[in-house]
Amino acid sequence: MDILKITQPEALSQDVESDIEMSDNENEVTGNSLVTPGELVTDDPVWMKGHGTYFLDNKTYSSVAGSVSRVNRLLSVIPLRGRYQPETGDHVVGRITEVGPKRWKVDIGGKQDAVLMLGSVNLPGGVLRRKSESDELQMRNFLKEGDLLNAEVQSIFSNGSASLHTRSLKYGKLRNGIFLKVPSNLIIKSKNHSFDLPGNISIILGVNGYIWLYKTPSSGRKNNINASSNKAQASFDAKGGYNPGQGSVSITRLEEESSWEIYSDKNDPNITGSVRKNIASYYNIIKALSHGELGITEQRIIMGYEASLAYGNSGSLIEKEAMESICEDVLNSEKMRGDAS
Amino acid sequence: MILSPAERSYLYDSLAKDELIRPDARADYQFRPIEVKTSFLPSSNGSARVRLTDGSEIITSIKSKVVLAAEEKSLIECDIDIPGFRDDSNFVANLKYNMTSLLNKSFPFESLKLTSKYAFKLFIDCVVISYSSFPLTFISIACYLALKSTKLPKLISDVNDEETAEQPLFSDDWENAQYLGDLNDSKSFNPPLIIVIGVVGKNLLFDPSAEEEQVLENGIIISWYNNDISTPIHNLNFSVHSNMPNYKGLSQQMIMKSILMARKHCANIVKALDQAIEEQTDDGVIF
Repeated sequence: MDILKITQPEALSQDVESDIEMSDNENEVTGNSLVTPGELVTDDPVWMKGHGTYFLDNKTYSSVAGSVSRVNRLLSVIPLRGRYQPETGDHVVGRITEVGPKRWKVDIGGKQDAVLMLGSVNLPGGVLRRKSESDELQMRNFLKEGDLLNAEVQSIFSNGSASLHTRSLKYGKLRNGIFLKVPSNLIIKSKNHSFDLPGNISIILGVNGYIWLYKTPSSGRKNNINASSNKAQASFDAKGGYNPGQGSVSITRLEEESSWEIYSDKNDPNITGSVRKNIASYYNIIKALSHGELGITEQRIIMGYEASLAYGNSGSLIEKEAMESICEDVLNSEKMRGDAS
Repeated sequence: MILSPAERSYLYDSLAKDELIRPDARADYQFRPIEVKTSFLPSSNGSARVRLTDGSEIITSIKSKVVLAAEEKSLIECDIDIPGFRDDSNFVANLKYNMTSLLNKSFPFESLKLTSKYAFKLFIDCVVISYSSFPLTFISIACYLALKSTKLPKLISDVNDEETAEQPLFSDDWENAQYLGDLNDSKSFNPPLIIVIGVVGKNLLFDPSAEEEQVLENGIIISWYNNDISTPIHNLNFSVHSNMPNYKGLSQQMIMKSILMARKHCANIVKALDQAIEEQTDDGVIF
């Protein structure tokens, strides 16, 4: 392994045609074609102007680089890159930036910070718990600036900013792992955004391109952790060894798990070296996929992991050639399985 | 950059382990890969650009001037510019101080000598276009590459001008220009380098990334010149934009250990840089 790997800027392999063929028939809006900012999309005034376009002298131009989309008479250009645009139901990962009156501000990589209302989180004590003034006063004990959490987009305000909620056991504060960012357009929306990966690792692929890699929580984890540094939590910790409904799904589970533990900052004390190494490998694989501009899915990450096993030391995966070969391997094995899209 | 307490403790535990595990699985002595281009600015004597995959980018340009050697305090002037920071801000002044003191203490000044009275003076300008972690190592790498690729016009007048009042005369053919290293037949021209080393627990790590900087207990700067450790050597808080809550004192052993580590690996860094210069092609590809 090189101590310092040095490369040179590469020449573009394909020759760029200097004269672009201008189509004679500019009245037609070309379907699904790529346009650049300032490019004429159509001079037919019947089209309605949507996002990513502007209108001058009865002609519609693109204001972003992206693909043209037509829905009935609405013409818009969907940008190739750009900030994340939240949509209701998205599973996102975010970082608290501000603690305000009855709400937290959360950075989710969008144009504006999202809002997480005090009423949209599970508070210690379970479902029957009512919010009180004391909760407002101790909001920093739940979530403070810098904390990472995963949440769902509950609704979108008229200005495009999002309101989040964490009212489910799968949402909440993140522990036992590392955070990384990729462009949000690389994350493909699917039914599920949290997966268990080979090697005792779990991942949350936020739709906003924020990713959390962590050790797969063991089912008996609850009993190992006693992160009690807070006075208020003492009363909830008093229940001792017996946990009703443990190992089965019960209606009271929310109540048990919504103890102060869900807001603990303490990591699992037994994260082994091999788990940490696997997390680092997955970190590099996701970076490699993002370098190759490949959409990031559970399957591709697992295929990338299998391809990366050929490298004795995953530290060499940060080199450009290795990243490109991982991407090629992923695409090849997709072709072999016949599920290339 | 703010990390959450859980992230911070995970990162610290990984880095402080006996067998350290960096978040991107790098070895403790491994640098992040860089992309390098030299001699691409047509109007300067030497230039270099260093880019990292995270978008960090540093451009260095070197210009020269003929001066009366006796009238100059130093034959090298180094300036660092970081968009968004005032030149007299702590951050920029600190980087500039380190580079200036490095170049003034460890530089083969004899290779700048023209005649008995005149010498070249070098003006080194670094622009840090973008950075994520403490940029000093990459600034010094960019300076190294730019100095190595600096070309100066060929002197055609007499070297011995103590008696005459004549100014030096240069060949007007730029094809005759010589590399700074070939001037005055100095045996090998090796500009100095600065290495940034992070300290976590009993571990040392080269080239800490922005996340790693957040959990460092201390940072050490070590200089390398002519195949040996040089000055400045000192410690520093790398994470300028947020508090380093782990920041502690530095034990003597760690300083010794870091010097040993630098001694073991720096020759390979210089070798990699020299090889990169040899491999540079003049194809006009900049981006």
